[in-house]
Amino acid sequence: MMSPITDIGPLQLALCLLFTIIAGAASMAHGLGLGRDLFIGTVRTFAQLFLMGYVLKFVFRLDMAAPVIGLFLIMVGAATHIIRGRVGQKDISVVLPTFAAMFISYFAMSVMVTGVIVGADPWWKPQYFIPLAGMIVGNAMTAVAISLERLFSDLKAHRNEVEMRLALGATPAEASRRFVADAIRAGMIPSINSLMGVGIVFLPGMMTGQILAGADPMVSIRYQIMVMLMLVASVALGSVIVVRLVRNRCFGKAQELLVR
Amino acid sequence: MTLRLHAVSFAYQGAAPVLDNADLTIEPGEFLLIKGPSGAGKSTLLRLLCRLELPVSGDLSLDGIPFEKIAPTNLRRRIALIQQTPTLLEGSIRGNLLLPYEFKANADLPPPDEQTLRNALNGFLLQSIPLDQNASELSVGQAQRICLLRTLLLSPGILLMDEPTSALDPDSAGIVLQAAREQNEKGATVILVSHAEQPPPGITGTITLANGKAERT
Repeated sequence: MMSPITDIGPLQLALCLLFTIIAGAASMAHGLGLGRDLFIGTVRTFAQLFLMGYVLKFVFRLDMAAPVIGLFLIMVGAATHIIRGRVGQKDISVVLPTFAAMFISYFAMSVMVTGVIVGADPWWKPQYFIPLAGMIVGNAMTAVAISLERLFSDLKAHRNEVEMRLALGATPAEASRRFVADAIRAGMIPSINSLMGVGIVFLPGMMTGQILAGADPMVSIRYQIMVMLMLVASVALGSVIVVRLVRNRCFGKAQELLVR
Repeated sequence: MTLRLHAVSFAYQGAAPVLDNADLTIEPGEFLLIKGPSGAGKSTLLRLLCRLELPVSGDLSLDGIPFEKIAPTNLRRRIALIQQTPTLLEGSIRGNLLLPYEFKANADLPPPDEQTLRNALNGFLLQSIPLDQNASELSVGQAQRICLLRTLLLSPGILLMDEPTSALDPDSAGIVLQAAREQNEKGATVILVSHAEQPPPGITGTITLANGKAERT
């Protein structure tokens, strides 16, 4: 069934640099000043992906649970770091709730997908666990960052409204309910939109990859359906848990609003 | 209800202290005007009194009970704040007036019936306004009266008013100040921050904030 994928040799890969040169030419022609970033970006793409390639090869060869879980920890840690960088509110720490919520819920989710749905044996089989968990964490990262940004900006912009409710006897949860719901919604919308567009507007990367690797398109669409649904659930789970935990940190011990 | 501040200091992050070891006692039934140059901490004092801000150091108490020992939702029901900018939600005036009864802490309060709401509107010279009207169609003066009404329906023992008339036309301002006075005559403590030249009728004392201290004058 599987025909071996045509390899890209070093020479062909070097040829791909032409694409960067095209982009660089566009930057120069219009004085965009993107040349430096383009250069660094290209170098990083090569370095990071080659490094990841070697790490994956190594972990696949070890075929042990610990390195797989270790890699998962690093993915969640990196995602947390990126979220922290993107969220403008620096006086309220989002690191601990984000890391803990993502680690616990996405670990459970990944185990369920690989162990129960795909039926990989053992459940941590690196070929399945790492790419699937990576997709979950990667998508959730974007969603959680959007949700948190929205939560902080809404609480700041509607400080008067939140304090009006507090002054009338609301708890922090009651005073911020509307903004918590809006924040979660903002995080979920992109993944719901992609449920609408998939297969018509775009072919997802994972499915494209499987097809390039010679898989039967009917097998790859089934995988893709699983991935899409898994991503919607993980985005919802991540946004809900992280936003609720961080919301608690937005209020002080007298239930006063700390976001300014 | 007696309010007491003991050695209270407060500063916003990275700014000079607003209150510095301030002491103050407010007896039940007083109607106080808080004066002071802008930035002297008038609004901050009100926010400290309903715990929307916490002091850096010092103690606040209600009838001798430290603020920390009172559930914040309970405290804010007894010490209510009227914000400078009236804040109403999108939706009907009725919905806005009934908002506090959606909160768990107010579950023991029966929501006022239609007739009570109507009478309350009449008392604030809003008789021409239907309860179904969208709150966003109100003028600032009308909105401030609705906000005050919403709070008074909860019968707080202490009413904090943060420049409630600063954006109001003279008629609305007069109604709001008259309502504050009536509330005081019924036994509530009223603490009012105001920039008005003329002290409002009925006040029983003045607190002047300057250099981080609160002086009774």
